Amino acid sequence: MAPDVEMKVDDETKKEEKPEAPAPVPLTPAQIITANIALVERAVSTLEPRFTHRVLRGHNALRRKLDSAILAEVVRNVLSKDVSTRDSLLAYIPDSTAAAESMDVDSAKQQPASDLLPETEAYVRLLVLDFLLDKQHYAQAIELANDTVARVQQLNRRSLDALGARIWFSYGRAYELSGNFDDARPQLLAGQRTASLRRDDETQATLINLLLRNYLAYDLYTQADKLVSKTTFPESAANTQLARHLYYLGRIRAVQLDYTDAHAHLQQAIRRAPSAQTAPGFYQAVHKLSVIVELLMGDIPERNLFRHPVLARALAGYFEIVKAVRAGSLSQFQATLAAHTAQFTADKTYTLILRLRQNVIKTGIRRLSLSYSRISLRDICLKLHLDSEEDAEYIVGKAIRDGVIEGRVVHEAGWMQCDAAKSRGGYGTEVSDVFGRRIAFCLGLHNESVKAMRYPLNAHRKELATAEAAREREKELAKEIVEGEHDGDDDLGDF
Amino acid sequence: MVARTQTSAAGVLALLSEQDEPVVRQHALKALLPLVPQFWAEISEHVATIESLYESDELPRDARDLAALLVSKVYFYLGEYDEALSFALGAGRAFEAESRSTAAAEFIETIVSKAIDRYITVRADDAKDDKIDPRLKTMIEGIFTRCLEDGEYKQALGIALEARRLDVIERVYKESKDVELLSYIMEAVLESGFKLSYRDQVLNFLLPLFPPPAPQSSHIPALTRLYVTLSSTPLTVKLLQSLVPKEKLLAYQFAFDFVEGGTQDFLESVRTALPEGTADEKGTYDQLRQILSGEESIKHYREFLGRNNKVDLLILKSTKDALEARSSIYHNAVTFSNAFMHCGTASDVFLRENLDWLVRASNWSKFSATAALGVIHKGYFEKGLELLGPYLPAQEAGTTGSVFSEGGALFALGLVNAGKGKDVEGYLRDKLKNIQNEVVQHGAALGLGIAGMASGSEDAFEDLKTTLFNDSAVAGEAAGIGMGLVMLGSGGQRFADEMLQYAHDTQHEKIIRGLALGVAFLYYGRQEEADGVIQSLLSEKDGLLRYGGVYTLALAYAGTSDNNAIRKLLHIAVSDTSDDVRRAAVTCLAFVLFKNPTQMPRLVQLLSESYNPHVRCGATLALGLSCAGTGLQDAVEILEPMIKDPVDFVRQGALIALGMVLVQQSEASSPSMSSTRALYARIVGDKHEDPMARFGSALGQGLIDAGGRNVTISLSSRTGSTNMAAVVGMALFCQFWYWFPLAHCASLAFEPTGIIGLNEDLKVPKFEVVSNARPSLFAYPPPTKPPTKAAVEKVETAVLSTTAKAKARESRKKAAADDSQMDTDEKPEKKESDDAMKVDDAGASGSKARDVSPLTQLADAATAAGAGTPSTSTPKPKRTVEPSSEKLSNFSRVTPTQFAYISFPPEGKFQPVRAISTVPPQRGAAASTKRGGKGAALAAVSKTAGGGGILLLIDTKPQEAAEFIDLTPPAPAPAAAAAPAEAAPAAASAGSYGGMVDENGPEADMPPAFEYPFDA
Repeated sequence: MAPDVEMKVDDETKKEEKPEAPAPVPLTPAQIITANIALVERAVSTLEPRFTHRVLRGHNALRRKLDSAILAEVVRNVLSKDVSTRDSLLAYIPDSTAAAESMDVDSAKQQPASDLLPETEAYVRLLVLDFLLDKQHYAQAIELANDTVARVQQLNRRSLDALGARIWFSYGRAYELSGNFDDARPQLLAGQRTASLRRDDETQATLINLLLRNYLAYDLYTQADKLVSKTTFPESAANTQLARHLYYLGRIRAVQLDYTDAHAHLQQAIRRAPSAQTAPGFYQAVHKLSVIVELLMGDIPERNLFRHPVLARALAGYFEIVKAVRAGSLSQFQATLAAHTAQFTADKTYTLILRLRQNVIKTGIRRLSLSYSRISLRDICLKLHLDSEEDAEYIVGKAIRDGVIEGRVVHEAGWMQCDAAKSRGGYGTEVSDVFGRRIAFCLGLHNESVKAMRYPLNAHRKELATAEAAREREKELAKEIVEGEHDGDDDLGDF
Repeated sequence: MVARTQTSAAGVLALLSEQDEPVVRQHALKALLPLVPQFWAEISEHVATIESLYESDELPRDARDLAALLVSKVYFYLGEYDEALSFALGAGRAFEAESRSTAAAEFIETIVSKAIDRYITVRADDAKDDKIDPRLKTMIEGIFTRCLEDGEYKQALGIALEARRLDVIERVYKESKDVELLSYIMEAVLESGFKLSYRDQVLNFLLPLFPPPAPQSSHIPALTRLYVTLSSTPLTVKLLQSLVPKEKLLAYQFAFDFVEGGTQDFLESVRTALPEGTADEKGTYDQLRQILSGEESIKHYREFLGRNNKVDLLILKSTKDALEARSSIYHNAVTFSNAFMHCGTASDVFLRENLDWLVRASNWSKFSATAALGVIHKGYFEKGLELLGPYLPAQEAGTTGSVFSEGGALFALGLVNAGKGKDVEGYLRDKLKNIQNEVVQHGAALGLGIAGMASGSEDAFEDLKTTLFNDSAVAGEAAGIGMGLVMLGSGGQRFADEMLQYAHDTQHEKIIRGLALGVAFLYYGRQEEADGVIQSLLSEKDGLLRYGGVYTLALAYAGTSDNNAIRKLLHIAVSDTSDDVRRAAVTCLAFVLFKNPTQMPRLVQLLSESYNPHVRCGATLALGLSCAGTGLQDAVEILEPMIKDPVDFVRQGALIALGMVLVQQSEASSPSMSSTRALYARIVGDKHEDPMARFGSALGQGLIDAGGRNVTISLSSRTGSTNMAAVVGMALFCQFWYWFPLAHCASLAFEPTGIIGLNEDLKVPKFEVVSNARPSLFAYPPPTKPPTKAAVEKVETAVLSTTAKAKARESRKKAAADDSQMDTDEKPEKKESDDAMKVDDAGASGSKARDVSPLTQLADAATAAGAGTPSTSTPKPKRTVEPSSEKLSNFSRVTPTQFAYISFPPEGKFQPVRAISTVPPQRGAAASTKRGGKGAALAAVSKTAGGGGILLLIDTKPQEAAEFIDLTPPAPAPAAAAAPAEAAPAAASAGSYGGMVDENGPEADMPPAFEYPFDA
């Protein structure tokens, strides 16, 4: 199974800024949709895309609560004017006619769709589309997706960008789930071009990711690599898209043997990704790849990673592999590989894991070089389950050349001489390098957060009110003093 | 399983490298073309090979075209649009074939728009055609042809204008025969930041294209603007000459409109260049000369202002009473308030009534007070010297007059003759040279500058320079400003060098500031010619010179909405180290952007929330200047919270700006009108308020009722062009921050808004026009009610309260009760329900009385009156059936927004010679919108609605005898009726010389000798 890259931002933590949050009773989906439509309209009228983003953040949570009755009602209310669109959308919703009477309760609250904005229509279409995906009506979903995408492209409104990007995502998803992902490719490429011509960053980011996903699904790594090298991923892209993009980059680089780069990308992807609880699929997928890449780089991943509640089960097979590599036991490695072949193939990590065989041997040799100052090639053969002494000699020779161990092969005597112990010691510069990298990352994160901060609208008006009040108090004080003098006079009079 | 889709273009690409097989390569090119959208990333790695194929000779022409198209597409996908264009041009036939197919619409569209861009840049750099790629030219010609075929004339014109293809403009016009298009080009070339030289070239080109004007033709305003912008004497004289024999009225109309917008020297040269004419035309030419001298216009506007004067003296009186005259800032505040309200009305009632207040003026406030006379008598230039005679310095040396009133009088003389000062120039120069007192010189220099504005008089400049070189701070500052004003808009490098040289040498900050402003005036409207000076000024170390640089930038690009200028100003506004410079930069945004008042609130919203109070203050003035007279709700919404700002000068700015924005608004058109008026009264009356805020309030009161409520404040003239005097006046007004007397210059931006119709003999017939809007929408605000006696009583109780506190409270409560009773007693004509409301109000204010000063309460009463007006002053049944239109007579006030609703009844005797408004009436919108939506509806009507002013009328029924309006002294000013009883006699005598300058009428009596009782 392809890794589930569905993601959504943690809406638990952001709840306070949601319009429906303060109410103790959870709102009905229909109410949420009404509120969302109001937000979308506000985004258009104030030219503030963040309202649309807020709607999309809650979108996945909302998706789970939808059923056909609610959806049919929404379509009927919102698109009451535009009859043709309404009917075509209703046709997509199963049992829509049956629910017509029962759901008239909310209709009073729905605002009359005086002038239907294209954004509102796009949002409703997105709801229907995702509903179809959830209900696994893929053929219909593809049909609707094509229709919707064509409409969004034709409208060419910048206020539609965020919704358009989300619709493209569902478009790709529809094709992927129906198993015809490669059919979508020409359309995706065309969409990407259009988006870059219109400087529509959000759609562009989504489409580049969809294209990469598309290529990788068919193992077209060269095509993917060329796409990456010829396009620039928009800087302003949303965090989720960026995380995805980094993940795909990591995969491409890993396949291309560029492990350092791959590792850097994957680390970034992990850091950028939403928290493990909200997007477990993505979190697991990235970690699987990251574990393998780390092993390929010759490092051993930390053990507590495998105890993480989200990862523990998903990474069980990988844990075995890590143990085998760490032990340098080729037989254990082969056994594990055989046991989990199905999972690794599904994860598309099988070929990468095959490359680990060399690393298992290298790890074994390194362990030997640490334990022995001199060991015969024959013993190496036995300990590492190698076929012949020649094999062992070649492998040791390569390990020495690669800098895995320090030592030399004494061919005449048939042993390996190790002088590793004396050169080791201390931590070297490695620790400070890693530390430096982390600090740089934290500083970068801090700077980005500062840049992303917004001042609350009209906050200064409150300050003005307090300033006004302060001045009023001052004036009163002045008056009090004047009056106080009178009082003083009176008091004096008593004496 | 067969692969359903191709996954790589590598196979086809490999064919390209077949060195010796041209056929194979040709085939590869053909095969690649449809693959580009899918595999461009892959193909792009071989783009060099394909390029070499395009350049090699071994392939046939078609194949090479194909290669070029392929490369072009690949570059397009890579986002290298310039390269893509170059190769697309090389592709020739293949590209044409591609453009016919619909599949690559985006590609074609992008290439074509790039082609247009490139063509425009190439043409802009060098207008010669020979350097331009002929293929590009063919492509562009194709675009023009297609536009013409589709009837997309404006698109073709837009490209032609930017690409400097005047021949295409002519072609389009010949094809369409649409005069609207010519006006459109003219608007475009004037409004959208073209270089000055090119602008003039286009305008000169457009002029002959316009058909000769006929009465009622729609392009008269455009033509007027064209002639005024070109300011070319021979062309203008030719126009007038061609009109005189047949279209006398139209010639007059043009002359009047030229006076509105033209500079002094342009009008003067046209006047002198007009021929004497044959016997029967001589009279017409004489009339034209008379009109061009500006005297006719001013005479009628003067008449209009004097006749309709609606100053509410009660407001002034309560302001005067509230502000302690001993303090010079308060004295100045009342002086300005009075001057603005009475600007151009020649009504000095207030001064006459308050001689004791006037006596309190000392030193510079005496200067201001005397100068105020100039504002009040603005335009009365025949009588200027006479009116000011008592204060002007005496002929013989060694007189005993106060230097301050003498200086002020000289300044006033300049204001009276603003922009039309050839008669007094000699006099002012003489005083400047002969009197060695710096205060007098200060007044003379300012007067000379304002009177001789843009006259370009070298003599005046030299005299001012001599004064400057005396290195006296006070006189030098005025001399610097005066030098700039005299040479306004000349852009003379020599003058600028001299001024900046001295600015670097002198020690006096005042002089440096004056000179910096002077330089700004020098470069008024010079746009890119000023860039060098702006650059050097902005990089000065001295903040005062950078301040001048900011003003130079703003004035050079005044009214252009130039993006670069705005960017620069915004940058300075947030980055300069000097607060003054930052404030000036924000304020100056208004000068650049005043033609788009609706944009301004959005632009300065963030700045208005800046942490820096100077930036906030600048933002208030920027809003006030740019949105002046519009009543724009957005602007008011930003300004209103700023009234509560913790910093006093921000509040001051906000109060002044509100006055500017709300000038001439009615209660019905702007919901915040009455609350703002009440606010002014409250702040002025609040003893504990900061002096600056009270000063701002008084100024705001003056501005909101400017010119007897009959003028608007506007930086653009009626035709939509920039009003030079107004821009300069407001730039000077902004200097009140440093120098109060300069606030008087705001009067230069006051523009009378009336409908004035003249017949062919330039007489004023009686006629009526219809205003298709509810009368209340454009009504004068109701007069304020005189304060009740109870309020006065309370002053006493408050002051005399020496008894026990409790007792005092009791008596106050009783007073409050009296108050309400008094109220009902005094207004028996009111309805019962209104009474009840009134009582409630009074009761409420009475209970508050303990901690509110009596004056505040007075203000409260005013608020109550103001708030209650809509329901009290108009009886209820009338309100429900308020007519949707009203009839206005000649010499009525018509506000700029109202012009859109004005129409001449078709059956009337008189019809205007040109359309009264350039904007179609939006009747439906205005009639249906309710109070809440009013702001938006009014904002939709552009401020540059234009039209109006002085209209020449065609007599359609000459057989009927016309009635004429008597221009002899009008009846006592209407204001007198509203004034308190004891003021009435004085008002009557003051109003009596409103129209005395009319030559036709019998000479009115000179007003009784009136002299400031200054102690000399």
